Amino acid sequence: MERAAQQAVPLGQMEVFQALQRLHMTIFSQSVSPCGKFLAAGNNYGQIAIFRYPCPCSPLSMSSGSWPSGGLMPPSSDTQAPLPFPFSLSAALSSEAKEESKKPMVTFQAHDGPVYSMVSTDRHLLSAGDGEVKAWLWAEILKKGCKELWRRQPPYRTSLEVPEINALLLVPKENLLILAGGDCQLHAMDLETGTFMWALRGHTDYIHCLALRERSPEVLSGGEDGAVRLWDLRTAKEVQTIEVYKHEECSRPHNGRWIGCLATDSDWMVCGGGPALTLWHLRSSTPTTVFPMRAPQKHVTFYQDLILSAGQGRCVNQWQLSGELKAQVPGSSPGLLSLSLNQQPAAPECKVLTAAGNSCRVDVFTNLGYRAFSLSF
Amino acid sequence: MSSESSKKRKPKVIRSDGAPAEGKRTRSDTEQEGKYYSEEAEVDLRDPGRDYELYKYTCQELQRLMAEIQDLKSRGGKDAQAVEIEDRRIQSCVHFMTLKKLNRLAHIRLKKGRDQTHEAKQKVDAYHLQLQNLLYEVMHLQKEITKCLEFKSKHEEIDLVSLEEFYKEAPPDISKAEVTMGDPHQQTLARLDWELEQRKRLAEKYRECLSNKEKILKEIEVKKEYLSSLQPRLNSIMQASLPVQEYLFMPFDQAHKQYETARHLPPPLYVLFVQATAYGQACAHRKSSQPPRQDKMLSVAIEGSVDEAKALFKPPEDSQDDESDSDAEEEQTTKRRRPTLGVQLDDKRKEMLKRHPLSVLLDLKCKDDSVLHLTFYYLMNLNIMTVKARVTTATELITPISAGDLLSPDSVLSCLYPGDHGKKTPNPANQYQFDKVGILTLRDYVLDLGHPYLWVQKLGGLHFPKEQPQHTVITDHSLSASHMETTMKLLKTRVQSRLALHKQFASLAKLQAAVVLNPGYSSIPPIFQLCLNWKGEKTNNNDDNIRAMESEVNVCYKELCGPRPGHQLLTNQLQRLCVLLDVYLETESHDDSVEGPKEFPQEKMCLRLFRGPSRIKPFKYNHPQGFFSHR
Repeated sequence: MERAAQQAVPLGQMEVFQALQRLHMTIFSQSVSPCGKFLAAGNNYGQIAIFRYPCPCSPLSMSSGSWPSGGLMPPSSDTQAPLPFPFSLSAALSSEAKEESKKPMVTFQAHDGPVYSMVSTDRHLLSAGDGEVKAWLWAEILKKGCKELWRRQPPYRTSLEVPEINALLLVPKENLLILAGGDCQLHAMDLETGTFMWALRGHTDYIHCLALRERSPEVLSGGEDGAVRLWDLRTAKEVQTIEVYKHEECSRPHNGRWIGCLATDSDWMVCGGGPALTLWHLRSSTPTTVFPMRAPQKHVTFYQDLILSAGQGRCVNQWQLSGELKAQVPGSSPGLLSLSLNQQPAAPECKVLTAAGNSCRVDVFTNLGYRAFSLSF
Repeated sequence: MSSESSKKRKPKVIRSDGAPAEGKRTRSDTEQEGKYYSEEAEVDLRDPGRDYELYKYTCQELQRLMAEIQDLKSRGGKDAQAVEIEDRRIQSCVHFMTLKKLNRLAHIRLKKGRDQTHEAKQKVDAYHLQLQNLLYEVMHLQKEITKCLEFKSKHEEIDLVSLEEFYKEAPPDISKAEVTMGDPHQQTLARLDWELEQRKRLAEKYRECLSNKEKILKEIEVKKEYLSSLQPRLNSIMQASLPVQEYLFMPFDQAHKQYETARHLPPPLYVLFVQATAYGQACAHRKSSQPPRQDKMLSVAIEGSVDEAKALFKPPEDSQDDESDSDAEEEQTTKRRRPTLGVQLDDKRKEMLKRHPLSVLLDLKCKDDSVLHLTFYYLMNLNIMTVKARVTTATELITPISAGDLLSPDSVLSCLYPGDHGKKTPNPANQYQFDKVGILTLRDYVLDLGHPYLWVQKLGGLHFPKEQPQHTVITDHSLSASHMETTMKLLKTRVQSRLALHKQFASLAKLQAAVVLNPGYSSIPPIFQLCLNWKGEKTNNNDDNIRAMESEVNVCYKELCGPRPGHQLLTNQLQRLCVLLDVYLETESHDDSVEGPKEFPQEKMCLRLFRGPSRIKPFKYNHPQGFFSHR
């Protein structure tokens, strides 16, 4: 896809073009900054936008914690008007809340292709899309013309088509980054040295999602081939395979067998996609609860004693572990692809859930019960 | 004198104290007794006769003396006489003394005599008493003896077994033959023993029998209860057997109930019911060579309210009773405002077009499990039958827009036979009825009442010759029978052909595109919104690939501008859309659970079918290489 910005066209067309882009934008990934005050979102055009969580900030904390550590007060980005400063949640929610408060602080072109996944370490933002992973410093990210710190490409087997990277996973104990995507392999990269240590093969079709099982350091991967595979990190071998579509309770052949989302809680795993969203007991590889959701789910996560899931359809679904639907909170996008919970201890006041998907908006749920407002690209 | 002496004694006794008095008394008594000569003892010595003589003599003397005194006194002279009188007085005093003594003696004698008598009497009394006592005792003892003699021991009341039997039956330790033979007492004892033994045994037996009887009574009770509870269980078995009946295709219960209800059907519906049931059973039997699990091709049911049907035939007495009431009511209504003419006419029309409350429901099953539901109604006043039709399919039909009317209830059965549109009433007589109430044609009411096709009338045995109107029409079974088979076959083929057509329409994949053209066209590109009708309606809300297609033509329009000045944008976009649709349909993932070939075989070359979390199809065309890939 050619670059969207630099073409010699009259201003009217530019606006039209941008409007069209916004109309067809899909936000694939989100990531919360280590200080907990900023949210990065990546879309299908390869852009990353940094939003500020609209949280109550007292003038006293302004100096130390309001900007990413080490940064100066940034100039306003070229596309947006300056942010009102300081502001509070109530201001954002009030009827006079200006649109600017819901706009990103900065947007930049990160990749050529869509940014399918992002993670944050304690200092970096790692984004991956078409075949390569790039790292950005959170401290520098709000500055104009921010450049990536480094970029890496895992060793692919084929060169005909560059496979996408659908999922990134951080293993903090071993300081590893695991990438998985279009080439059906899991690559492990050491964050210190940047070398790719090993690649795990086993999937027969591309990988959608990764999850980390912390106790025994294992990685779970779910893919288009309908299988969830567990890999032991130390031995770099496949430990267990669960072929979800083969189980009658959850398989839905008319949707396909792809596993679109994974989440694990050490003993339990919840996965969904083509087959129904199901809670599995890992040791016995048996499905314990099938959640009655017709639409394929694209993102799932454990939160306290609930399971949150989102996928085709407007709503963020909250499930009890017993399989009952606790709540369905509609968002503003017709389909959701990513959920992000800001649980950073440094910013407890910004503890919100954000959801993004088939639109240019990021819905913010300050309380899991309703959508407070939306941030927009 | 004794009284004087006793008087003397008494004062002495009284004056002195108690103890010394006693002592004195005793002393005086003894002194007096020693000195005093007891007159009681003297009495025993003296002769009472002599005393009596003495008494008489004394009395005589006294008398004489008295007389002498008297004489002396009467003579008068005091001195000499006084001495004589005195003398005589002294003599008389002595005589008085004697008399007193005699009196005392007499008293004592009397007392003695009395005492003696008394003593003797007492003795006699005592002996008498003893005698009485003894006699009484004798009597008592006699009574006792007689009682004892009369005493009958209970044992004599008992009918003991005869001696021979006794010796035969009794065990030797009871009968003790050697002892009892000689001794009747022992014998009786033994017999009594035996009797006791027997009685004990019998009592034991009796108890046992009693308890047996109790047990048996209880058993009888239980069994009675069991039997009485059987009735509701049998009922429930009947109920439970209904599914079995269905399974085995012998719905006796159902059939029975149906025949019950069928009795209330009006004649044409009855004919239809009978013929249809017969045909259905014949069809089922015809296929008996196949396994019995084949479902019935034709199933008949009766719907509607039997009570209302019964109510239609209410006996006329009720109406007679109501006549007087209705007269009164009529008078009332005339006082009120009459309803308008139009409303009256409406009511009359409704009355004319009234349906019988019962209707017959026919379900015709076709080979692909789709069912044609036909509901037959009978219009009582018009004497025609109408039908309403409905088609249900085994799987939900997604109705494409153009195929919408194919299976509509209104038109699915039209022209089954040539020219039979089902909009006109087949009964010529109805025309005259319609004129009365101002109905022009039945066409207006057909949607509500059902279609009065000719074949429907024939199925109900109603025969309307075309030439003359007939007022009475006979319902004919033979007419119905002859038409049943042909009509059923025609119905089935009709349904199947319509369904097939419907499927054809459904399988055509149609992409609808809504285009917004801006006045500044081609510098400002047209915007497309797509909707794909294929296996459901897919738009950008529910299908990511549609969204990608839209994005391909809307956002990437720059590729499609063509040579400057780019006026070919719209046509290029449309062409691109066609290509995208092809790619979409060809790359649709094949559902493994459904058998059969893919609907759209893949002709385009694609590297990968799905990419990314949204699983987008390869919509980007790489020009010189000619293959599709992802953006």
